[in-house]
Amino acid sequence: MLKRAAAIGLHAILIIGLIGFFGFRGNISRSEAAESSIAASAYSPRFTGELEHGVTIRVLENDTAIQQGYFEELIDAFNAAYAEQGIKAVDANMDQYLDLENDGPYGYGPDVLYQANDVLMKYVDGNHILALPPDALEAWEQIPASAWEAYQAQGGIYGVPVNIQAPVLYYRSDMIPDNWRDEWDGDKNGVPDMLESWGAMYRFSRGIREGNPAAYGYMKSLWDPYFALGYLFSYGGYIFGEDTYDIGLSAGDAAIGAGVIRQLASVMNEDCIDDTVTKNGYAKLASGEYFAVMTTPDVYTLFTKEFNLAGTPVDNLGVAAVPALPADGDLSGPGAELIPFKVMGGVNGYAVSSYTKAPNACLAFVNFASGYDMMLRRNALLGIVPARADAASEAGGLSEMVNKKLADNEIVIMPSVRALAQVWTPAGTLFSDIAKDPYRPQGEMKYTEAAAFQEGLEKAGQQIYDAIHTLQ
Amino acid sequence: MLSAIKHGNRKVLLSMFLMGLGQLLYGQIAKGIIFLLIQAMGLWFFIGFGAKAIYGFFSLGALVADPSVGLAGDNSVVMLITGIFAFIMLGLYIACYISNVKGAYNTQLREGCGLPPARFITELKDMADGGFHKSALFLPVIGVCVFNILPIVYMILIAFTDYGGDIVPPALVSWTGLSSFARIISLGQFAPTFSKILQWNALWAIMSTAINYMCGLGLALLLNKPCVKGKTFWRAFPVLAYAVPGFITLIGFKFMFSYGGPINQMITEAGGRAVGFLDLDAKWTARLIGLLVNAWIAIPSSMLLATGILSNMDNSLYESATIDGAGAWKRFKSITLPFVLFATMPVLITQFIGNFNNFGIFYFLRGGLYIDGYFLASDTDLLINWLYNLSIDNNYYSIGAAISLIIFAITSAVALAVYMLSPSYRQEEMFK
Repeated sequence: MLKRAAAIGLHAILIIGLIGFFGFRGNISRSEAAESSIAASAYSPRFTGELEHGVTIRVLENDTAIQQGYFEELIDAFNAAYAEQGIKAVDANMDQYLDLENDGPYGYGPDVLYQANDVLMKYVDGNHILALPPDALEAWEQIPASAWEAYQAQGGIYGVPVNIQAPVLYYRSDMIPDNWRDEWDGDKNGVPDMLESWGAMYRFSRGIREGNPAAYGYMKSLWDPYFALGYLFSYGGYIFGEDTYDIGLSAGDAAIGAGVIRQLASVMNEDCIDDTVTKNGYAKLASGEYFAVMTTPDVYTLFTKEFNLAGTPVDNLGVAAVPALPADGDLSGPGAELIPFKVMGGVNGYAVSSYTKAPNACLAFVNFASGYDMMLRRNALLGIVPARADAASEAGGLSEMVNKKLADNEIVIMPSVRALAQVWTPAGTLFSDIAKDPYRPQGEMKYTEAAAFQEGLEKAGQQIYDAIHTLQ
Repeated sequence: MLSAIKHGNRKVLLSMFLMGLGQLLYGQIAKGIIFLLIQAMGLWFFIGFGAKAIYGFFSLGALVADPSVGLAGDNSVVMLITGIFAFIMLGLYIACYISNVKGAYNTQLREGCGLPPARFITELKDMADGGFHKSALFLPVIGVCVFNILPIVYMILIAFTDYGGDIVPPALVSWTGLSSFARIISLGQFAPTFSKILQWNALWAIMSTAINYMCGLGLALLLNKPCVKGKTFWRAFPVLAYAVPGFITLIGFKFMFSYGGPINQMITEAGGRAVGFLDLDAKWTARLIGLLVNAWIAIPSSMLLATGILSNMDNSLYESATIDGAGAWKRFKSITLPFVLFATMPVLITQFIGNFNNFGIFYFLRGGLYIDGYFLASDTDLLINWLYNLSIDNNYYSIGAAISLIIFAITSAVALAVYMLSPSYRQEEMFK
């Protein structure tokens, strides 16, 4: 009995011994590993300046750029320019919402990514994208510091800004009354008041509705935080202060901004509560049912398509900066003093994946794609606002205007932190609640006084805080 | 095995020390060589991979990867998975070891009875005959271990780590014991929301299962009636609804009930005011729409199931009942329903669990809302949606795994209790 138990024991010892010995030998302890960590530098040492020859780099572009044919032009031009070095760029052919953080370590993902700053910068934690060498970035001097800031973290630059995303106003120029110089140009500056002031836009929208209940002035899905947060920013609100513990949706006089949203909702219809206007805005602006909508510059081509479909001349499509707000927040009042509308914006750009085998070739692609010529081409084909000052100046119009707003700090760039993802649902719920309020029966309205707006903003701020920190 | 340890002879003892040795000494060369090969492969596996994987399972890595400088480092999640795999392989190795010892001992017993050691061919024939269940199930069991057991164990173990939040690869994950469960229990904000959502979740699961089942059965009975003409044609309509992917149906219904959707258009064109069917004030309207949309998606499958079962009904039962004076309702209550319930109880329980954990309905119809009085949830969210908000949406995988284990405990207890009380279990012989 003893011998047999010993035989089994010996066999077990053999296996356990093997596991112990080879297991221990194949691993190191966490304390040993900490000693062997590599010191961080301002940019990745993998950028040696020597191009990798005979490589193919996979580029993830945005869907619109691919559909409109810009991306094909870009890679064709790049491949021709780098044919001698044997460097070839191809479409990564991946979902534009890929998750490099989870996919990259397993070998799946593009070499170069084009995405919004808040999406790209979440990859900095864990070093999924490479810190770029500023000296090697050709667009360095031409891109304003405020755009670079969106890509700065841990003392490094992690992306190259390509286009500035900020809300602008699309409107029907032919719907502006012929006598606007007499009736709608109070400051006599040659610009219709409704394009300069939300108060005038509100009064104009109300006038349109009174004339024809089926027609609307300004329309927008007001629940959408990307656009609605600007009303809060303009009166002192903010998302994150020093860190994500400081949430400032209700800071300053943000409640006044929330009140502006409710006033605007009252001259729209229930479509402003959900995303109906976001979906039908292009067609309804083209058909003349709406006078104006707010959206981003990169959807210009979607408007022109709808205008062509509706048989409306594209010349009737106007684009303007978002109007200014009355300092007291009363859209129906005389609106003596105006304050600039601080819109929420983003900076889309290129970053280089840490999992690439050819970082220097990727950098060459990023430099090529963010060059002056390609920026102008991108602007012409997609209607985007170039982040390069020289290209924006050459493009003029909207591009120049948005660049100026960025320089004047009237565009609040989306925070490049992972916690931003927790802002959308609480803020969207609040704005939806405010937009719904004018359509509630008289006794059930929630936002009839300033304190209610303040309370709503504080509650949304608390929800954001809870979502970020409760389980941290 | 215990008998082998107590009474095994020297050859069995040698098999205990080195797999296959006893068989070789008994002259069972082929079997002995196979066991020796298993032994060699086992050693090769543990030296080359298994040992490191098992060690990594406990340590979850030490070296933080830095892809920006090409430093591969350790991936805790992969180490956890490979560790579980190595344990499965260790289990298989132990099973082979036991089989080896038992085999040698059986030969010893045969020898004691004056029989020669079983020949390899004979043993193979036995495996295909008396031991067929073992040989037939061997490969499927391996498949189940790798493709079912491994992911389930992985998900369960995640609940005992700090995986999630800022701790995702390349950051290293650590074992934290029961701290995820402790955190869920200790958070005061969770309790009221959990209670409210659980109540709604239970009501939803019961209501939706009952509606889907009864409507499916009703439709099947209706289409089974001899007076219905063109049965195939009518049956095709629900099947079409079933064939469309669920999320597309849900997005379609969301549009239909939106402010700009066709239903509100008809209402406003008729002079009414647009109705917020799914907006943030629409608690019970949204819940009702959820039930109806779920019925639209699920009734066809219930109908098909019931149609199949009804085709096995013994018509003489109905004839006898009719002769005895039973009306249509009495026949349905006393014959049809018990028979169908008996046959479909396990499916009904599966449907109940599926509805209890029906993530898609309210995620697509009314996602993206946090309602007053709920902690990071809306009044139509089910536990599974809340779990998503809290964990996946927030990246807290360990908390998510812990909550899923709690949901699993609830649903499995309900399912087990219902099944034990059902005629399918208690009166198994009744319909045979």
